[in-house]
Amino acid sequence: MMLFKIAYRNILRNRRRSAMTALAVAVGTLAVLLFGGFQRNVFAGLETGAVQRSGHLTAFREGYFLYGAGNPSAYGIDDYQNIVQLIKNDAVLQPLVSVVTPTLSLVGIAGNYSGQSSAAKTFLGIGFIPSDRARMRQWNEHHITLATGAEPVLKDDEPSVGFVGVGLGRILGLCGPLKIPNCPFPPDLASERPPIDAPAEDFKDLQERDVAKAAADSHAGMPRLDLLGATAAGAPNVVGLYVASAAPQGVRELDENVIGMPLPLAQQLVYGRQKPKVTGITVQLRRTEDLEKGRARLKALVQDSRVKLEVHDFAELNPFYVQVKSFFGAMFLFIAAIMGVIVLFTIVNTMTMAVLERTAEIGTSRALGVKRGGVRRQFLLEGALLGAFGAIIGVAVAALATFAINHAGLEWTPPANAQPTPFRVELWGRTALIGLTWIALTVIATLAAWFPANRAAKLQIVDALRHV
Amino acid sequence: MGRPEVRARKGVNMTSVVRLHGVAKTYRVGTVDVEALRGITLDIHQSRFTVVIGPSGSGKTTLLNLVGAIDVPTSGSVELCGQDLAALKDDALSEFRARHVGFVFQGFSLMPVLSAFENVEYPLLLVGMPLSERKQRTMVMLEAVGLADQRHRRPNELSGGQKQRVAIARALVKQPDVVLADEPTANLDTKTGAAIIELMREVQAKFHTTFIFSTHDPQLMSHSDETFVVRDGRLVPPAHEVRA
Repeated sequence: MMLFKIAYRNILRNRRRSAMTALAVAVGTLAVLLFGGFQRNVFAGLETGAVQRSGHLTAFREGYFLYGAGNPSAYGIDDYQNIVQLIKNDAVLQPLVSVVTPTLSLVGIAGNYSGQSSAAKTFLGIGFIPSDRARMRQWNEHHITLATGAEPVLKDDEPSVGFVGVGLGRILGLCGPLKIPNCPFPPDLASERPPIDAPAEDFKDLQERDVAKAAADSHAGMPRLDLLGATAAGAPNVVGLYVASAAPQGVRELDENVIGMPLPLAQQLVYGRQKPKVTGITVQLRRTEDLEKGRARLKALVQDSRVKLEVHDFAELNPFYVQVKSFFGAMFLFIAAIMGVIVLFTIVNTMTMAVLERTAEIGTSRALGVKRGGVRRQFLLEGALLGAFGAIIGVAVAALATFAINHAGLEWTPPANAQPTPFRVELWGRTALIGLTWIALTVIATLAAWFPANRAAKLQIVDALRHV
Repeated sequence: MGRPEVRARKGVNMTSVVRLHGVAKTYRVGTVDVEALRGITLDIHQSRFTVVIGPSGSGKTTLLNLVGAIDVPTSGSVELCGQDLAALKDDALSEFRARHVGFVFQGFSLMPVLSAFENVEYPLLLVGMPLSERKQRTMVMLEAVGLADQRHRRPNELSGGQKQRVAIARALVKQPDVVLADEPTANLDTKTGAAIIELMREVQAKFHTTFIFSTHDPQLMSHSDETFVVRDGRLVPPAHEVRA
């Protein structure tokens, strides 16, 4: 108790110096907590986006993950409906799972031969069940505010309506019909290409049939694309897709390639009249913390399926998520390390000055019978108290700053997001971050006090007593 | 140098509390060796008011430091309360000082962040005395030095004389075998110095403690039971003087 009393009073003895030291610790705490809170918001946003798009877990046919992009149709799962039902009915997974839905990835060429323009582009397609996709988009475990309206809600009963990435819409000349912003009119290259009304002989029949079918359909106002793909058997196949809107994808490569469409249309393109298959069975859990439990159970469930399946999580399917997380993690460590070093040197400086000023007192204490360890403990405790006080101030200021930031209406565009989202710092309830930051800075302050404390403990008593 | 003969005062305990045998202490100052003490041999007896005198730089303080176990001799042996100090390691020496030795310093050396009461209480904490006994004994000691009313004051709120009274109370509170006082009146005016000497004499008599002083102060010399004169690191004959 006396140790604490002496330490506390010595801290108050030189108020200005102690205040400056505590302030340095507080600034370190503030920086770490604000960045940690911001990082949390970024991670939550990335996770939410990834889980909304691709669920937590996806079962693929073995080999698809590494080789399937080149020929998705070859990695189809034919008894997918049974597997979906098996997962849905499983007693272990049922309470954990939010959505179980089949998806089909495909590649092909999208063409716009509407008569006003003629353009074609390879695409990456994803076929899904619109109502399941809409439910997946509702997932928001972290209760964060994401940009809205990024993807249109499609309907199960409109199997030929989909969406394209904004870049792909622009490339295919759909700026006007899809009201794509910042989409200047393309240069007129009409004189350098064959007239649209005189298609190449090879595609003449195809285009005639296409135009006739378009006229017969009733999706008034929606532009229509022809999607050309290869069936699983290797034969070319064409389907028509009405584009409801252009959805920004955040990353240019995706934005200029993605087409989303209802699963039946995707299956029609890839499998034609054959038995439809899917490339993946996506499972979205209610809570991410159940990921490992869900993965283990899902693996157990699908291990006896007719085709060999493998299970991957959303981090594996979204390498960008992992990269951004690693980047922010490294930045957090970098900032924390810098703050730690600042705190370390500040405390070393303060405690060194304290030892110098109190050398004669140290001599007196030692003469009275205080052991070397007692002197060391005294200064270590003072360093620890300075660190702890400073960190408490830092936590309080961080809480106020968080409130101010979150109510300032700031916006930013996170990585892989196409639209600005509210700039928020998630500090409330982050007891682990707050607690660990407080502990870490207090420990650093204590360690920093070790050097001067040790020096104080090693002083010769008579030398210390002579010190003026 | 032979051990000085001590003539006993009537009623005085003649057991040796301090025994120095052939004690030498050499300091290195820069590249020069300075011999502060050269083969001191002496005995100091229990419950005596002993004074060590000598000119500045004669080795008085060094002698007291060695007796107080806060310095170690270059050669020779120091025995305090029957304990050869050379046999004790640093922590054991600290513990030994905490139990057996009290100090009164020239510059008072009170802990500035502690009140008068806490300063006096502090040595009792070091020996692990229970709270109630600690508080009671501290209060008795403060009353003995006449500072019970000033007990809540910090050193910077006390006069020089009051500070030295606190220092004396602090030195005596644990009832040590020896109290060492290095020029305790040097920083005090004549009147205050005399009062402090009177006080020390009183408490020494009351608590039967062995007091060893170093001083230039003739007032203090006149109060001593026994006097050692140190010059150039040696005891100068006659090595001691015992009041009849």
